This record gives sequence, C-alpha cells and structure tokens, in this order.
Amino acid sequence: MSSDDARLAGSGGATDPATEQDLAPAELLALVEAEQARTSAALEPDARLIYGCWGLAWLLGFGSLYLARAEIGPVELAPSVAGLVFFGLLVAAMVITGMHMSRRFAGVRGVSTRIGAMYGWAWVLGFSTYAAILTGAGRAGVDEPVLGLLWSTGSGLVVGLLYVAGGALWQDWIQYGLGAWILVASAAGALAGTPGVYLVMSLAGGGGFLLAAAFFVLRPLGRSGSAGAAT
Amino acid sequence: MVPDLDPVIHAAARLKVTATLAALPDGDRISFPRVQKLLGMTAGNLSVHVRKLEDAGYVDVVKKHEGRTPATYLSLTRTGRRALEDYTAALRQLLGAP
Repeated sequence: MSSDDARLAGSGGATDPATEQDLAPAELLALVEAEQARTSAALEPDARLIYGCWGLAWLLGFGSLYLARAEIGPVELAPSVAGLVFFGLLVAAMVITGMHMSRRFAGVRGVSTRIGAMYGWAWVLGFSTYAAILTGAGRAGVDEPVLGLLWSTGSGLVVGLLYVAGGALWQDWIQYGLGAWILVASAAGALAGTPGVYLVMSLAGGGGFLLAAAFFVLRPLGRSGSAGAAT
Repeated sequence: MVPDLDPVIHAAARLKVTATLAALPDGDRISFPRVQKLLGMTAGNLSVHVRKLEDAGYVDVVKKHEGRTPATYLSLTRTGRRALEDYTAALRQLLGAP
C-alpha cells in the first residue's frame, strides 16, 4: 500500500482510478470503521486498567486494614503495617491512573481535555477538602475508631459522587452504576461500624470496581479487525 | 446510478487520516506526531496528505508554540466531516444498502 500512497501523493490531486481498484467498497467501508474504532480505543482511557487497579487497591488495602483490626486470619498484622499497605496501594493506583491518562490524552487539545482536566481537579479538590475536615475532626478530639469509620466511608462518598457525576456527564452507565454502588457500600459500611466497615469497603467496594473491570474484559471489542486494519 | 466518490478522500492514506480525525469529538485537535504514531506514517508522507486535505478545506491545521517548541495540531473541519459522511454513504449505496 505504501507504494500506492507515494504514487498518489505525486499525482497532483487527481485520483488515478487504477490505484484504488484493489479496494472494493466493502473494504473501504471496513477501513473507515476500523480506523475510527482504533483511534477511539487509543484515545480513551482503558476502563479495565483503571477499575482493575483501584479494585485491587481497595480489596487488598481495606482487606488488610480489616485483618489487622479483626484479629482473625493466619498471620497477625500490625495496624501500622496494614496502614502502610493501604497507603502504598493507593499511591500505586494513583500513579498508574495518572500515567495512563496522560499517555492516552497525549497530543489531544480541546473541549474533551478541558472537561477531563476540570473533572480531574474535582477529585483533587474533593479529597483535599475531606482531608482538612478529618484533620479538624481529629483536633476536635474525635477518637481513632470513629476517624477510621469517617475517612473510609467519607472517601467512598467522594468517589461515589464523582463517579455518578462522571457517568452522567459522559453518559456512561457502568461508571454511574459503579458510583451508585460505592455510595451504597459506604452507607452499609458506616452502619456496620468498625472493624466491619473495612470488610464492607474491601469486598463490596473493591469487588464493585473489579466487577466493572470484568465487564469491560468480557465485553467483545467493537473492532471489525478486517480489511485495512493491519497496516 | 453509480455515485461519484470524492477523489480527495478516495485514496487509502487520506481516507485513513480523515477517518482518524473524525474519531475525535467536535472541538478537539490532535498533534501531528500523535496522528503519525496512530497511523504509523512517516512525517513526510503524512504532511503531503494533510496538505491535500487542507487545500480541499477538509482539515484545519493550526501551528502553535508550546514553550519554545512549535507544535502542529490537526482537526477535521465541518466540511471534512460531511465529506467523510457523504463518502461512506456513497459506498453504502454502491453496496446496495437501502
């Protein structure tokens, strides 16, 4: 095909019909569809990766917090170690998400990146405000188990609301449903009290993320993969 | 009657460039190197085709300076988007679709 391209490039605008005779209308149509699907897939964030890494971080992070406080399981886990595991997993998920997003949006400017940036800052603003609220609550004498209940379910509130808003904004039912599910899980966790809250956030919250990731893994990709796609 | 196919995009390389740019939402631009990477084309080859599409009024080319480095951004014009729609409609007509 590249020799055809070169010939066309030099043909001064007029198309030489002979150069395109090898591509039938059906193949040309398939080529248009394949290019559009391929480009969309390359520019959109990969839901499998994003939901998958946050699902694992919640499942294992909240899971270790639960094991450290519930005093069950084969190994004894110090709360400080569990806290470090949780924090490390969150940072890893944040780094993976940030790197992935910047790679997918590289070179794109305009309305969609502006929307993405505004939405991204909503997360930063939301969590910074919540961190300040928790700091204030700690200073006011709220004790550790209550703080634990507040930060885990309150984070679920922020995440759930932003996913619900994002789902509405991008007309994405999976994101909307995941947000609603995380809100329900956070409510259930708050009512469960400590240490049950960590188990709920781990299994229901993390599990919700992983189910959403599984949906995108199992969903057949909308690529035709036929003529012209393999260039 | 056999419909006429737009000669500007009835060439595999330009059709690919047009289809790729059409995948971007309206109001978005994409950098020349990113398009090059997406399509696996050389810079020379891509710029030849982009110039033809620009001459036809199908592609808008914006040159910006990001810091010190010049950057070229491409986007499909309304005319270009319509041309691709007409082109695929003509293909469907050729295929006998209603």
